Amino acid sequence: MVNRNHQRVLHKSCNPTGSRRFSKKGQMKIQQMAFMLIAVILLFALVIIFFLAISLQEVRRTATMFEEENAMLLVSKLANSPEFSCGNSFGSSRANCIDFDKIFALKENLNKYQNFWGVTKIYIRKIYPNDKVDCTEENYPNCGLIKLLDKNVNSTSFSSNFISLCRKERDNNLIYDKCEIAILMIASEDKG
Amino acid sequence: MNKFFCKKGALEISFGWLFAIITGAIILFLAIFLGSKIIGTSDETISAETGKEITILLNPLETSFESAQKTSITIPSETKIKNLCSNENPFGKQTLQLDQKRFNKWSETDIKISSYNKYIFSEEEIIGKRFYLFSKPFDFPFKVANLIYMTSADDVYCFKNPPIEVKEELLNLNQSNLLIENCPKESISVCFTEGNCDIEVEYSEGKVTKGEDIIYFTGIDDSNALMYAAIFSDKEIYECQIDRLMLRWKEIIILYNNKQEILQKTGCDDDIGIYLIAFSDAVKSVESSQDLFSIKEDAKEIEILNKGLECLLW
Repeated sequence: MVNRNHQRVLHKSCNPTGSRRFSKKGQMKIQQMAFMLIAVILLFALVIIFFLAISLQEVRRTATMFEEENAMLLVSKLANSPEFSCGNSFGSSRANCIDFDKIFALKENLNKYQNFWGVTKIYIRKIYPNDKVDCTEENYPNCGLIKLLDKNVNSTSFSSNFISLCRKERDNNLIYDKCEIAILMIASEDKG
Repeated sequence: MNKFFCKKGALEISFGWLFAIITGAIILFLAIFLGSKIIGTSDETISAETGKEITILLNPLETSFESAQKTSITIPSETKIKNLCSNENPFGKQTLQLDQKRFNKWSETDIKISSYNKYIFSEEEIIGKRFYLFSKPFDFPFKVANLIYMTSADDVYCFKNPPIEVKEELLNLNQSNLLIENCPKESISVCFTEGNCDIEVEYSEGKVTKGEDIIYFTGIDDSNALMYAAIFSDKEIYECQIDRLMLRWKEIIILYNNKQEILQKTGCDDDIGIYLIAFSDAVKSVESSQDLFSIKEDAKEIEILNKGLECLLW
């Protein structure tokens, strides 16, 4: 208040007519500057938000790409991991061979493995017969699809690999190894 | 007094000047602030991407019936890889943290890339542009996991008088930083007989001495998987990874026990369930690498029992 009065006094003293027009012009300029500053800050804020949105989108896209790459490489080797592999159960050691009995045992006790492989879905589907019946305790082994891991999240498309799915089968009193062709399918989280 | 303030030369800043100064300052401040933030974020992004890429590239190291797999990774700038391990339930965690050199200075980032199904044995910090990795299966007596050994191309290991099977394996691996002869002076010496070496391996005793640290290893069927792990890693990393392997081991034994129940429904009358449970209890007592010796005989026995089954479990 004191300052404003002082300003007025100064203006009056500098202006021989002592009118208040000059003071109002000054106020207008201050308002103009304030509005301009707000506009500039808003402009910057918008530019930053736009830049961040693009960067975030790019990071998400890269993350999804990495997840897809992980699924693609994992699908070619997952059959050889100890939870899946046939080991020597069916005679000699075999590559890309999944032990159906072991997998079914794993399905029944999967809680601890939810995040273990870093993917969202792991399915194993028999090629022939093309039976899409989900494997349960009641219909095992006469089923065509085993959904080992099936997280309810946005997922990428499946990466797949052919494998042999082996189990022990009984025919009268004879127990023999039965191997069928199947597809191992893995999907990862879509972060985009 | 009045004359002084009315003079044109007095400190009279016009609106234009004032506006330019204030907005100029804001623009400069924002540009510098954002520039530094963007550089920092870009460093973190590069570290995170490289870390994730390394973790993904470890997938092909999973072995089937081969005894070892190898690969190498080259990173454009000099990189410090920190190997972090935690052994909390259910499977522990393998974490990599990467710092890269920019303008002769390490960019310290806090980005960590974790995985649960990898077991990397290395020094706590390894530095270089090129890294060699090889893996071997850890069978005890069934396959538990693949152990991955990571070394920097700058760290040359010189194996002196290794046993014939180790020598053959190293020759087959053909990894340029693992030498048996013509070792450079600055190489890390690994002795299998007594001598003044950086790393001393008492092969038959299952003992590796590194300075003041003593690490124990064992294996079934002459498997040297844990011996390499002991040679290439720090004691803390080694012990932590052993804990993680035992956690996975316990889950796999449950899996085999459940598999046996399924096989019994098929008509396989074998039952080694009680032995599996007893072995599982023995494994629970493992607290360090030294305790592995106490369960080695149990592991051998259970392997013999499995081989005698009509329907093999593994």
